[in-house]
Amino acid sequence: MTSNHGSKDMTVDVLIIGAGASGAAAAASLSEAGFKVKCLEQGFWQDPSKYASASADYDFEMLTNWSVDPNKRQLDEDYPINIDNSPVTPVMFNGVGGSTILWTAHTPRFHPSDFRVKTLDGVADDWPLTYEDIEDYYDRNDEVMGCSGINGDPANPPRKPRQMPPLPIGSDGMRLINAFEKLDWHWWPSDNYINSEPYGEGRDACNFCGHVHMGCFKRAKASTDLTYWPRALNNGAVIETGARVRRVTTNSSGTATGADYVDAKGVERHQPARSVVMAANGIGTARLLLLSKSDSHPDGLANSSGLVGKNLMFHPFAMITGVFPEKMNTWQGPLSNFAMSQEFYETDKSRGFVRGYTYQFQRSLGPGWVANGGFTNAIPWGDNHHEELEKRLGSMMAIAVIGDDLPELHNSVDLDPDLTDSDGIPAPRITYTLSQNSRDLLDHGIKNATKVFETAGATNIYVDPLMRQSGWHLMGTARMGEDSSNSVVDKWGQAHDVDNLFIIDGSVFVTGAAVNPTPTIQALALRTADYIITNRNDLRG
Amino acid sequence: MASQHSTQEQLLEAIMDRMIPAVGDLPSAGQMGLFDEIVRLAAKQKRFENLFHSAMAAFESNIPDFLTSSESVQDENLKTFELNNPEHFNTIRTIVYIVYYKDSRVHKRIGWDGNPPQPQGYEMDPWDESVLVNARKREPFWRKV
Repeated sequence: MTSNHGSKDMTVDVLIIGAGASGAAAAASLSEAGFKVKCLEQGFWQDPSKYASASADYDFEMLTNWSVDPNKRQLDEDYPINIDNSPVTPVMFNGVGGSTILWTAHTPRFHPSDFRVKTLDGVADDWPLTYEDIEDYYDRNDEVMGCSGINGDPANPPRKPRQMPPLPIGSDGMRLINAFEKLDWHWWPSDNYINSEPYGEGRDACNFCGHVHMGCFKRAKASTDLTYWPRALNNGAVIETGARVRRVTTNSSGTATGADYVDAKGVERHQPARSVVMAANGIGTARLLLLSKSDSHPDGLANSSGLVGKNLMFHPFAMITGVFPEKMNTWQGPLSNFAMSQEFYETDKSRGFVRGYTYQFQRSLGPGWVANGGFTNAIPWGDNHHEELEKRLGSMMAIAVIGDDLPELHNSVDLDPDLTDSDGIPAPRITYTLSQNSRDLLDHGIKNATKVFETAGATNIYVDPLMRQSGWHLMGTARMGEDSSNSVVDKWGQAHDVDNLFIIDGSVFVTGAAVNPTPTIQALALRTADYIITNRNDLRG
Repeated sequence: MASQHSTQEQLLEAIMDRMIPAVGDLPSAGQMGLFDEIVRLAAKQKRFENLFHSAMAAFESNIPDFLTSSESVQDENLKTFELNNPEHFNTIRTIVYIVYYKDSRVHKRIGWDGNPPQPQGYEMDPWDESVLVNARKREPFWRKV
């Protein structure tokens, strides 16, 4: 039995599916322009004062109820993901704010070259837009989220000043930086959506607790429940939480008409809408489009190209951990991304691969985390246990290699034939293999990061050649392009097949670059919202 | 039921004794009375609790005479279990390490303040722009399109 919430017309102008990074940005923008906006979010609001970083059980919570891996977290609002055929585990969070609740908030921008990889390097495809097309949207997004960082980075184009100075580097950070300088390799303080000083409504400065990946108790890390959503709600946008979408509905001519969903009480409902905006991430959006088959869209919604769910890109990560002879209290400060290097970002074919990678500088955490390995293997049990813990605690740092992962058709999301979520909706299944180019790129990064640790004086160096739990960045499964035969949406995020369906999450990426994608996702979401505001008055009721 | 609980407690404590030996003025982990905390913590998530009980059951069925074996044989048994049942072994080791390193006696020995990360956080010296003196000397090298 499906209900429309009563008899009066509940049709909204824009129905957004997913309340994370992109859905929040679009909701704020569209509602400010007077569109009637509703968002369906399968998760719930979070209370920062209850984040597990303030619990004595935080080490256990990090691996269970607050794990970044939904297969380990297993909250009712999570959906399982079949990862049997993937060496990388996708990680995400379902709730208002989406994965920005648990992200590390590292916010570099794409380079201009990232939008032109076909032209420059002869691989993958060019984007149908340029860096310059979204530069203003990057700036707008920084203003709302709040960026700490500093101008002058020689690896990136000049840009407007950030809202705050960088987070402090610390003596431990300088240890790595001095090594990069000895090697004459680039480094620069990272851009972060973490407050280095109070910024935004009710948002404090970071107090360097380290556990940035467990939700921010101080509200210093920008998550969209704290940034965009208050604006959107103030403009009259509505969020329904605990609302799990079954399918986007269409009429006989193939136009989107809203969504069927299960509400928080388990009641089947329908939300009518004049347009639908997909913002459920690079796995969730592909899953829903494939679930939304109809007579008009027999292979899934907006899938005449056959590319929905194809070209899944993660950023493959390698992690190199070094142990230093000195105690540096490496648990103090954000775990991730206080600085980065893009020495090997741009293509140099003499290296034996195309595209490149970013180095992200990482710290460490407390004894429970260190004992269980941190970014490497657990410390041994038995006679050497105490000695090894003593060596690593406060002395361990890491460098992540985040590589540009090019799109490949066989890397994909489809519907699992057996696995379902708690409402019986088919779960996604991931098929992913690492390309030889990505492997070569990571190996190059490992070799040079090892050189950094040796130069810095590390006494032990551990290598994880491909991190399992590193699928933060979910991209490519509904790519944009000019040609409807080889792309799902156009350069505005509008589906080629359905003119009132838009996609604004990482699904639309043509290539992945070698940086964290969220500022780019949000910039594109703001751009799509502007397109709707300017060009789609027909969607207003 | 009480005897089952007692058997599991004895078995886990024997495993813990081999995993984390005595150090300084601390006894080996199995002698620190941590079993109840392990059971409490594991029960905070059903998935983990099930994994924990499965791991213990697998250990017990694979190595039924662990409790009566010598320490050297126990070490060999543990190594074999770690090699052949890595997921079960990791589950046990993970919860043992977490509970051991949340104990205030251990904090005192290793010099850890013992507070959760929040709300205190930590102090850091403020951002110092002088660290960029060398990095700023480099000419722009991003690839122009």
